[in-house]
Amino acid sequence: MSEKILVVDDDPDVMLFNKTVVEEEGYLPLTASNGEEGLALLKKESPDLVILDVLMPKQSGIKMYRAVKTEERWRHIPIIILSGISRRSFLKSQEALTEFGEQPVPEPELYLEKPVEARELATAIREVLEKSKAT
Amino acid sequence: MKMEIKKLLFVTQFEDLRYDTLQLFLELRRAHLEHIVFLNVIQREKVAMQRGVGYKKDEEVKLREMANIRFIDWAENLFEQGMEVGVYIVVGSLVQQVLSAVEKEGIDLVVIGNPEKKRFTPFISGSDISELIHRITVPVMIITVPSEEKRLTENPFHRPLLAVDWTPGDMAAVGFLQQLKGVIQEVNVIHVAAEQALKSSSAMGVQKTRKKHREKLEEICEQFEAAGLQARSHVYVGDPREEIERAARDCQASMIISGIPEKRSWGGKVRKSLPVRLTEKTAFPVLLVPPDSGRETG
Repeated sequence: MSEKILVVDDDPDVMLFNKTVVEEEGYLPLTASNGEEGLALLKKESPDLVILDVLMPKQSGIKMYRAVKTEERWRHIPIIILSGISRRSFLKSQEALTEFGEQPVPEPELYLEKPVEARELATAIREVLEKSKAT
Repeated sequence: MKMEIKKLLFVTQFEDLRYDTLQLFLELRRAHLEHIVFLNVIQREKVAMQRGVGYKKDEEVKLREMANIRFIDWAENLFEQGMEVGVYIVVGSLVQQVLSAVEKEGIDLVVIGNPEKKRFTPFISGSDISELIHRITVPVMIITVPSEEKRLTENPFHRPLLAVDWTPGDMAAVGFLQQLKGVIQEVNVIHVAAEQALKSSSAMGVQKTRKKHREKLEEICEQFEAAGLQARSHVYVGDPREEIERAARDCQASMIISGIPEKRSWGGKVRKSLPVRLTEKTAFPVLLVPPDSGRETG
C-alpha cells in the first residue's frame, strides 16, 4: 500500500502543485488548508509524512508543527516544512515559544524555502521517507 | 463579561497602516495578545473584467504576491517573537472581507486605516465606515492616517478618552478596557451634556445637572480603579463630537473610545451617528465598541 502524505497549505496553486508531485510519485495525498484542518486530519488518518506550510490562516504551521512534535503518538511522523518563511525565522520562533515555557521541539526533518521544483520536492519526499523507515 | 484581546485583525493596504503601526500594538501582549491576522483586500476594480482585456489575472497575481512578500517579512518578525500569525489576501469588498475574517478567525479587535482622502485614492469611504460600524460584532479601531510627520507613534491604549452616555455599547467599552491593566496608563472618562442642560432659572440647577453626571462618571472610574487602572472623570457641555475632540486634546489622549449604538435603533440615522461623525472628523484613533461585543457566541 502506498504511503500517505498530508499536505498542508492555504495557497490553492501551491496545494495543486504539491498534490500533483505526491500523486505522480505514487503516494496517496491528504490535503488540509491550515494547521487546524491538518491536525483534525492527523487525528483521523495516520500519514507517513507531512508537508507543511508555515504562514496560514486559523492556525500556522508553527503551531501545528509544535502540536505534532510534542504529541507522543505523532512525534515520529517526519515533517518537511515548505514555506516562504525562512528556516532561521522558523527555528527562532520555536526557540521563543520554548522560552515562554512550552516544551522544546526538535528541528524539522527537512526545510525547503518556496518555490521548489517538482524534482526537488519529489527527491526530498523520497529521501525523508527512506530515512524515516530506516530509523 | 470577558473581553480579552487575544486575536487582532490588522487590515492594511500598506499605504495606510504599516508595520511600525502594528508594533505599537504588540504591547497588548501584556493583555493576552498572542495572534495577529493580516488582511489585505484587493479592490475588485483593480482586477475586474474589461472590454478587450477580460479578467486581469496577471494584475491579481502581481498584487497578491506584492502583499504576500510584505506579509512574509512582517510575519517573520512576529514569529521570531513567539507570536502566532495568519494572513488573508483576497479580492472583494472591504467590509465583507473584514466581517468574514472576524467570523472565521474569532477576532477580538479589528484595526483598520482610514487614509486622508486628499492623499490616497480612498480605500475606505464614509459609507464603508458606516456599514462596518453597523455590522461589526467586535471592537474596531479606525486610525486616520495623516501626513508622514504626524503618524502614530504611541500605543493608542496608553491614555484613552472614553466618551460615555451610558449606552450598552459604552458599558461594553468599560468592560473591554478593564482587561487592559499593564497597558493603559490612565483612562479619562467624559460625558458631554447637551447645551440645554445650561438652560435653568438658577445656577444651582445647572450645577445639580453637572453633579449628577459627575457622580455617575465617578462610578465608572471606581470600576476602573477596582481593575487596577487610573481614571479621571470630566463633564463637558456642547456638541458631543466637538467637545469629545476638545477633551481629547485637553487630556492629551492617545485615542477616543465610544460605544456603538444598539443596531435596532439606528434606522436611517446611522450615517449621522456619533461614532461615524467621530471617525470622519478626528485625527485621533477611534475605538468603537459594539453593545454585543464580549458576549459568548458558543
